[in-house]
Amino acid sequence: MRPANPELKELVVEASGALARLDATRLEELALSCQALTRARSPEDAGEREHLARQAREAEADMAVFARVLEATRSNLNVMKRLRELRAGRLEYTERQARGSAEGGHGDH
Amino acid sequence: MGTINSALSLTKGALDADQKALSVVANNVANANTTGYTEETPDWKENQPINVDGIQVGDGVTETGATSQRDRILEERLDQQQQLASASSSRLTALNSMQALFTPDSGSASSTAGDIGSDITSFFDSFSSLESDPTDNALREQVLSSASTLAGDISGTANSLNAQGAALDQDASGVVSQVNSLTGAIGQLNLEIQSISPHSDAGTLEDQRQQDLSQLSQLIGINQVTTENNGLSITTTSGQLLVSEGQNFQLTTGTVNGATDFFLGGTDITSQLRTGGGQLGGYLTARDVDIPGALGTLDQLAYGISTAVNAQNDSGTDFDGQTGTFANPLYIFNEPATVAGSATNMSVIMTDPHQIAAAGAGSGTGDNSNAVAMANLAKEPLGGPTTSFSLTQNLDSTTPVNGTTTGNVQVYDTLGKTYVATVTYTQQGANIWGYSVALPASAFASGVSTPVTGTMTFSAAGNPIQIRPTGAANPETVGTATGDVSSIPLSFAGLADGAATLNMGWNLLAANGTSIINQTVAASAQTGQSQNGFAGDQTPIDYYSNFVSTLGATVSEVQTENTAQNASVTQLQTQNNALSSVNLNDEAAAMSKLESSYQAASQVFTLLNTVMTSALNLGVETAVS
Repeated sequence: MRPANPELKELVVEASGALARLDATRLEELALSCQALTRARSPEDAGEREHLARQAREAEADMAVFARVLEATRSNLNVMKRLRELRAGRLEYTERQARGSAEGGHGDH
Repeated sequence: MGTINSALSLTKGALDADQKALSVVANNVANANTTGYTEETPDWKENQPINVDGIQVGDGVTETGATSQRDRILEERLDQQQQLASASSSRLTALNSMQALFTPDSGSASSTAGDIGSDITSFFDSFSSLESDPTDNALREQVLSSASTLAGDISGTANSLNAQGAALDQDASGVVSQVNSLTGAIGQLNLEIQSISPHSDAGTLEDQRQQDLSQLSQLIGINQVTTENNGLSITTTSGQLLVSEGQNFQLTTGTVNGATDFFLGGTDITSQLRTGGGQLGGYLTARDVDIPGALGTLDQLAYGISTAVNAQNDSGTDFDGQTGTFANPLYIFNEPATVAGSATNMSVIMTDPHQIAAAGAGSGTGDNSNAVAMANLAKEPLGGPTTSFSLTQNLDSTTPVNGTTTGNVQVYDTLGKTYVATVTYTQQGANIWGYSVALPASAFASGVSTPVTGTMTFSAAGNPIQIRPTGAANPETVGTATGDVSSIPLSFAGLADGAATLNMGWNLLAANGTSIINQTVAASAQTGQSQNGFAGDQTPIDYYSNFVSTLGATVSEVQTENTAQNASVTQLQTQNNALSSVNLNDEAAAMSKLESSYQAASQVFTLLNTVMTSALNLGVETAVS
């Protein structure tokens, strides 16, 4: 009998949507579901194997979308990290500059 | 000198500052639902210390204004992603409309573009049916009926594609007024911002400018360059200036070759806008790339089928024992002169089913050998030999006598083999050039190339006015009037691959009657070439099927890109909202959310990939030795 698992395609579409929404909680739940899937034994029944293979073929296009969303997310994350570093750099620079000015002021006395 | 007033003033200043800060917070709350509003935080400035009996006492703080929590880099990144998403979105809409044309509609009684595949099969099958009884008039009528259905569906589809192209042209034109309005507004805002707040954030004015930039990004691809005093310059992604601080440059349109082109400062920037992004980029890609590509495929299909079927029918004997003549060829379809336009003009011109030449040349009416040959065309590669070509060439009038210049063009023979035809022009005297057109020696079974030669005379204005092929008794006038010639006939027989004699016309005039080859004082140069042949390595039905599947793959690819780009825009908006909108989340929390989502998604992706690879391998039948 076929396990009552969601179709692979649904999982992939759900993962893309959750990533677009930055729903980390949902993504962590999906990761657990996928871990359970990988632990499942390979079906011995030929029909069941073919069913799984069909699911995988049907999910291929959505997997390509998920890959692109993941790539875009990585790119956005890089931009945000660089921005954070940039701001941190500005702050340090401002502090150093402020310290330098203050020290210079003392020297004049 | 310090007084009680000073102390009171200090306290009052602190209270005022708090009050102003409260106003900023209140303003944020009041604008919580205002689109594009950027949260402001109060700026505090330490007051000059005051001297009380020789001791400096701090003078508290003064609220100096409000700074919007925006980050131009993040906003620019968001704009860039919106440009991409808008471009793929508008292109996707157009591609979906195109694809809908080619989707078979099993529920419809009328034949449509989606039926072209089955039309091709039915048409060639009708010849197979005719083979069994070439004298059966009903079977002959069936051939003409299926030919009409095929021609009608191909030409109807070409017309629908042209209509879609015209609609996209209108959509693209409509973007221009929106772009000009936005660049005008941004220029005005630049002036206001530079005047009011040259060294600090201009608050709501910056919000307005950002909103305009966001809208502009959805329309066309832009680059933003920050200038002095909080100013901003905007260029297209290829660098043409749209806004320079307070000045904006208007996009204009003009009709070029029947389509709308886009100009900036008199320069045609259509191709740059096409690849630049935004809605306009998507519209132009669909209008200038996707639709012409589909039309080109249909043209080749129509040209290939029409010319091959006509030639085969013309070579046989019809029901009345007639064979085709030059004046009255036995053509089923309207014979196309060029590949371009073949689909739109495809139609059945044969009205009498008796004219279907089921019998071979010289055979009786009961013979079916030519019907067999026509049915077999379904299994032969679709292609067409070059029947005409053009070279856009300038011949330098100052070239010394016997000086030469060359041009070349790739041409196709009847079997789809390609050759480079070389045209050599030799200066023979004032306004007279000799010409010689040659195929490579390897093209001929004899191994010897025999060029086609003659002379060409130019007017003082540099246009060709006469030609005289070698051996011709008299020169012929070049022109469009009755009796004039507009092309030079060329013929190459004895090709090594066994193809039929390659007969081509070398066009001297463009379709509008202007000369393509000119003599001027500028340096000799070939600036263009075109020809109407094409290689065919697929049968008609395979050619059509590949086109439909390629279109499907393109739609899928653009859909994937669009989904990913929209997801990226959503993510960036979340980040931008956390930073700049009235929101309880702070930036660090937003960043953490982005990071943890990415990590969890990476894990999901890796696991799903493993599951899918494993599942696909499970489904593979493996040989057992």
